[in-house]
Amino acid sequence: MRIPLSLIAALALCLPLVAQAATSINERHPLGAGGRVEISNIAGKVTVRGWDRSDVALTGSLADGLTLKQDKSSNRVRWEVEYPRGRSNGGATLELRVPRSVEVQLGTISADIDVADIDVRRLQANSVSGSITAAGRSGETTLNTVSGGIRSQLQTARLEARTVSGQLLAGGGASGEVAAESVSGRVNVNAGRIQRLAVETVSGSLDVSATGMAPGGKVTMQTVSGSVALKLPVNVSAQLNVKTFSGGIQSDAGQVEKPRYGPGSSLDARLGAGDGDISINSHSGSVRVSLGR
Amino acid sequence: MNPPDSDHDALTARLHALPAERVPPARVWQAIAAQLPAQSAAPSPAATVSTLSTRRRRGRWPLRVGLGLAAALALLMVVPTPVPNTPAPSLLQRQADAMAGEYQQAIAALPNAEVTEEWRPALHELDASADTIRAAIAENPRSRYLLGQLQRTYALRLELTQQAVLSTGLPT
Repeated sequence: MRIPLSLIAALALCLPLVAQAATSINERHPLGAGGRVEISNIAGKVTVRGWDRSDVALTGSLADGLTLKQDKSSNRVRWEVEYPRGRSNGGATLELRVPRSVEVQLGTISADIDVADIDVRRLQANSVSGSITAAGRSGETTLNTVSGGIRSQLQTARLEARTVSGQLLAGGGASGEVAAESVSGRVNVNAGRIQRLAVETVSGSLDVSATGMAPGGKVTMQTVSGSVALKLPVNVSAQLNVKTFSGGIQSDAGQVEKPRYGPGSSLDARLGAGDGDISINSHSGSVRVSLGR
Repeated sequence: MNPPDSDHDALTARLHALPAERVPPARVWQAIAAQLPAQSAAPSPAATVSTLSTRRRRGRWPLRVGLGLAAALALLMVVPTPVPNTPAPSLLQRQADAMAGEYQQAIAALPNAEVTEEWRPALHELDASADTIRAAIAENPRSRYLLGQLQRTYALRLELTQQAVLSTGLPT
């Protein structure tokens, strides 16, 4: 039997397409409350959604040459996308479904992380250049990037967010303990009732508001050259202390004092009964404290 | 006793009778010439006197300059001078210097690997930020929170450098 030459040519043309075809994945593992699921992926995207089931599911596709390594136990599952040495043709697109009250740990290099509709005990997401977007509920939350942005709308009692140059936006009900750090990226925190709030940047601006402070609550804001804006309700109860070296101070409460000789400005004011502590330090950035809502 | 006018006239006459220019005796010139360095042409006694006089005048200038410098030096050594406006580094600055040294040692101890593009901008950003903070400490050397900021920046730089070095084997 003679095979037509044209058919051979057509098959030969299709071979690279077959070779580059993505590999679909569809994995499941039972995971009870308190269990932990971990995802590690370098490039592509990682999406996490919650559901009302008692197992965790991973679907998606892997680019050619990538493999999925699994490590499972009764209380823990780890999925890691393994990349071949050298440059790969693409990344992995993963979608993770998680039950309630589990711990979720995500790590990427350039892959973006998108988390929503979750209700977990703990969320930890780390990326280098990828962005992190998170929404839903989490008992404790840690979000770290290097150059990627962070946008959190999580309701969480403890939030730690850190970036170097990415923008950091935290809202949606972060309350209790909030720690946000950046080097040059702008930090914007819109918090609920605060017990502990610590925000630091080197050159990035800080814009923080809170609906209230718990009795004995503490707010600390520090920057070298970034501008600082703090908005608190008018009935807040705290001792306010602001210090700058060369930055200006504007405040709805208290009087700005300057030494007779030398640089520096400071402000000390008692807000309400003065229960909590608000401390703002800036080297050259300006400071604005507003009381109003 | 002679009257004063006659005495004055006699003195004036004797003064006028003196020679206008007194030439030293020849043996004096010979003694002087023997102590002078040899010259190609033997100068006349008058010319020699003139040259000696010029040399003495010229020779006095280095002496005067030297004496002036010595006096100025003595004045500088004896009279207390104001200290230049470079205050000694504060404790906080010394701590910052020590911290920078330790950080550089820690970085140098890491394997020398080329970091990938994902990491490079952030590492540069951290280096620039550390410089910014150190400049701020130099301006305000009593600000302890700046030292905390510097420590945080260095710690982050070290941590990310370690991660970047570890990830160099990974594909891009």
